[in-house]
Amino acid sequence: MDRNQIAKWLKSPAKMANKYSLHAVYFCTGCGIIEIPPVITTRWDAERFGVLPVATPRQGNLFMITGYVSLKTLRAIIRTYEQMPDPKYTVGFGSCPINGGMYWDSYNTIKHLDKYIPVDGWIAGCMPRPEAVFIGVTHLWTLIDKGKADGYLRYKKNYAAYRRNQEMILRDIEWPPLYPVESKAEEVSV
Amino acid sequence: MISSLQEDLESKFKDVEVRVLEQNRISVLVPGDSIPVILRYLKESGLNHLALISCVDWIEQEKLEVVYVLTSYMPNDTEHGPEQRLHVLLKTRIPREDAQVKSAIAVFENAEPYERELHELYGVNFEGHPRLIPLFLEREYEIPPFRKDFDMRKYVEDTFGSIPSVDG
Repeated sequence: MDRNQIAKWLKSPAKMANKYSLHAVYFCTGCGIIEIPPVITTRWDAERFGVLPVATPRQGNLFMITGYVSLKTLRAIIRTYEQMPDPKYTVGFGSCPINGGMYWDSYNTIKHLDKYIPVDGWIAGCMPRPEAVFIGVTHLWTLIDKGKADGYLRYKKNYAAYRRNQEMILRDIEWPPLYPVESKAEEVSV
Repeated sequence: MISSLQEDLESKFKDVEVRVLEQNRISVLVPGDSIPVILRYLKESGLNHLALISCVDWIEQEKLEVVYVLTSYMPNDTEHGPEQRLHVLLKTRIPREDAQVKSAIAVFENAEPYERELHELYGVNFEGHPRLIPLFLEREYEIPPFRKDFDMRKYVEDTFGSIPSVDG
């Protein structure tokens, strides 16, 4: 362990433990997932950074959206994201979740992922190199240190807005709201 | 082999246009009603693999062209090498406004997902299909999205552009 960090460990052990045990949900979207097997296996070995892939969202706290998001995938992404325990961090990987990328005029691909779930950081590129994933991870560490990787808190705070956007784009969402949403009667009376 | 198949098709069915595209590859244009009959005939004459059903939108002629790509499973030896393998593009032209074709499921069972796909992307109705429900798409589109008169950019602007970003 780095001796310089002992003070940090003593001050907020939970935060430090979170930071060095990022468990990435092995969720495959689009073409970016092809970069993930070399990242987690011997060639680049993500475990050096404490990043491990896990099988189910209930064990993970890092969610990488690795490519274009079609509407059907968005449904799966929201369900997966809501199942992950707090604190959870989302990273958009590649151009497509940022602004649609090469699918900017596609009829079935969402353009801005952060309108539907909160995103803590982006890794731009088409495709980003595995090294970019590690830069992203180390940057996420800094954000966690400073308390700026607060996507899960923003999700809780602005849940009504996120849920409204999700309902606008996906008709008939079949699961109930994760957090209580105040009734729409107030909006009507105003 | 091609010439015999061409003669057979032209003698047995009426309104059939056969064009030889290149070696071992022919295109057959038939009227819409006779699709199942001709598919069954081609299957019995050795073209036992329906590789794909596709569609082309000829908007200026007000026609949709449904294309069935047929080929055959053959042992890969010298006798039945790639040179012997025949490819048939079976085409039919239907009006864009009332796009109706008879389903090919009775002949080729694997036509089912292809027909569902064409139904949602081009709005072609396949008569006799047991469940024409969406295959890939989540939303309903006024104009099927692969037709040429579907204004993609306007749709994207109206649908995805109208969603506000979440601040805070």
